[in-house]
Amino acid sequence: MSVGFIGAGQLAFALARGFTAAGILAAHKITASSPDTDLPTVSGLRKMGVNFTVSNKDTVKNSDVLFLAVKPPIIPFILDEVGPDIEARHIVVSCAAGVTISSIEKKLSTFCPTPKVIRCMTNTPVVVREGATVYATGTHADVEDGKLLEQLMASVGFCTEVEEDLIDAVTGLSGSGPAYAFTALDALADGGVKMGLPRRLAVRLGAQALLGAAKMLLESEQHPGQLKDNVCSPGGATIHALHFLESGGFRSLLINAVEASCIRTRELQHLADQEKISPAAIKKTLLDKVKLESPSLSVASVNKVSLFTNKSKKN
Amino acid sequence: MEVPELWVGFVGAGRMAGGLVRGLLQAGKVPASNILASAPSDKNLGAWRELGCRTTHCNLEVVHRSTLVFLATKPHILPGVLEEIRPAVGSHHIVVSLVAGVTIQTLQRLLPPWTKVLRIMPNLPCVVQAGAMVFSRGNNAGDEEATLLKSLLSSCGLCEEVPESYIDIHTGLSGSGVAYVYLFAEALAEGAVKMGMPGALASRIAAQTLLGAAKMLLETGEHPAKLRGDVCTPGGTTIYALHQLEKGALRATVMNAVEAATNRACDMAKD
Repeated sequence: MSVGFIGAGQLAFALARGFTAAGILAAHKITASSPDTDLPTVSGLRKMGVNFTVSNKDTVKNSDVLFLAVKPPIIPFILDEVGPDIEARHIVVSCAAGVTISSIEKKLSTFCPTPKVIRCMTNTPVVVREGATVYATGTHADVEDGKLLEQLMASVGFCTEVEEDLIDAVTGLSGSGPAYAFTALDALADGGVKMGLPRRLAVRLGAQALLGAAKMLLESEQHPGQLKDNVCSPGGATIHALHFLESGGFRSLLINAVEASCIRTRELQHLADQEKISPAAIKKTLLDKVKLESPSLSVASVNKVSLFTNKSKKN
Repeated sequence: MEVPELWVGFVGAGRMAGGLVRGLLQAGKVPASNILASAPSDKNLGAWRELGCRTTHCNLEVVHRSTLVFLATKPHILPGVLEEIRPAVGSHHIVVSLVAGVTIQTLQRLLPPWTKVLRIMPNLPCVVQAGAMVFSRGNNAGDEEATLLKSLLSSCGLCEEVPESYIDIHTGLSGSGVAYVYLFAEALAEGAVKMGMPGALASRIAAQTLLGAAKMLLETGEHPAKLRGDVCTPGGTTIYALHQLEKGALRATVMNAVEAATNRACDMAKD
């Protein structure tokens, strides 16, 4: 089985790293493409032994499972570009937040009558094989297609199938979740430093504390509230600290965060549905298309190429 | 535990004492005729006589005629009462103080050195036999006295022995805690009234909700966080409401309340 990534940014890098480390896929069976070769992740992918190209079409041709690993506003342009090359055998996996299966199927159906589409929401810790992934299968994706993706994603963490309407909530929780954790860890480390610990040690200990707590929770039958109680001896240090957290509305802040991320995802989806793409995104994509078709052109001359000329070159 | 010849006395016959005596009688271990209560005026004593208890205005009589003596006066009255009854207190007596803020140390100081002293902190719902009580023993009170007290008062509600240092915390949690619950019940009902329900109905439902939730907690033994999670269907009404409570930092506020009451109890005991 070969896997391709349209897009060679954080997500492609994280997944490629995870798959290769898990031994489920050899690096040379992975292709990644991006018009922007300056991305730091590009050199990382190359070092891994992944086939890197500037041609999205090449990626499609060389893949059975095709991950769309670009930012949500770019998805429609990518689908227009690679649509003609999508065959019935391809499993198209979109990881873009807020992009619905139906919008992808609609775009692809002009080229391929029964495109296999799976929508997935994962997160960056796939890079260390502790990802959290959910997926929903599209109209023409079979049970085996879902299971194939599940097998791939399970090699890099937890993976389960869900109904598509839950994916925005998952985005808010585990999609964005690592960012909440990084913020918390930064602050915990600050606390440690304030009380006299060297920074590196503080970071190490904070991270280990969260890792250990998460592991305990996953391996325990007990409710997190009970696990919390188990740490709080009467009148002790921990309960005093927790009181501070409660006073600051810690819990509600986290609830707010998950809610905000989920709502924003839905907003972006709405905007995408109405095809209100930001001008900056459009500019970059067209620019990229020009670079793709005329790699020998210097950057300076590219700016002078008119859109009309560009379109006429398209075959 | 059968105590056919136990004579019980109450010095002070106010609401707290009344609650305890009702529990005692319900436990069926002490006949009403074996109970004697004293009070300066007749104001409260009528209710005791209706229960079948005997009454008097003489504190010394209570001590003379009882083995188990409950002290249920107001805190500022107690020192005078102890001075009065001290000569009559013997080694056969068991003295149990309900008086808020008066430590075992103080009680032992003001009573003969051989006295078996226990200190109990009940709460208001003892009057409906759904109380929460904690007690501690003094130097001379042993397992027998503790077991006796527990067996007599368990019909008033929860009755547990604790180190004396927990008594002020119990005040903050449960003594005063009852008021926090009344406040919460009032607010719940007010919310319902705002949404269009008549007040009286809202109040009854609020009370029943608290009662039911508490009953589930006590009977299932589950962690409250788990029970809370069980009520929260994804994206449902409950989780929306809980989010509001968390935004208002309800948990921290409640912790503050318990802390404030406990600290105040400590301070008052020192006065």
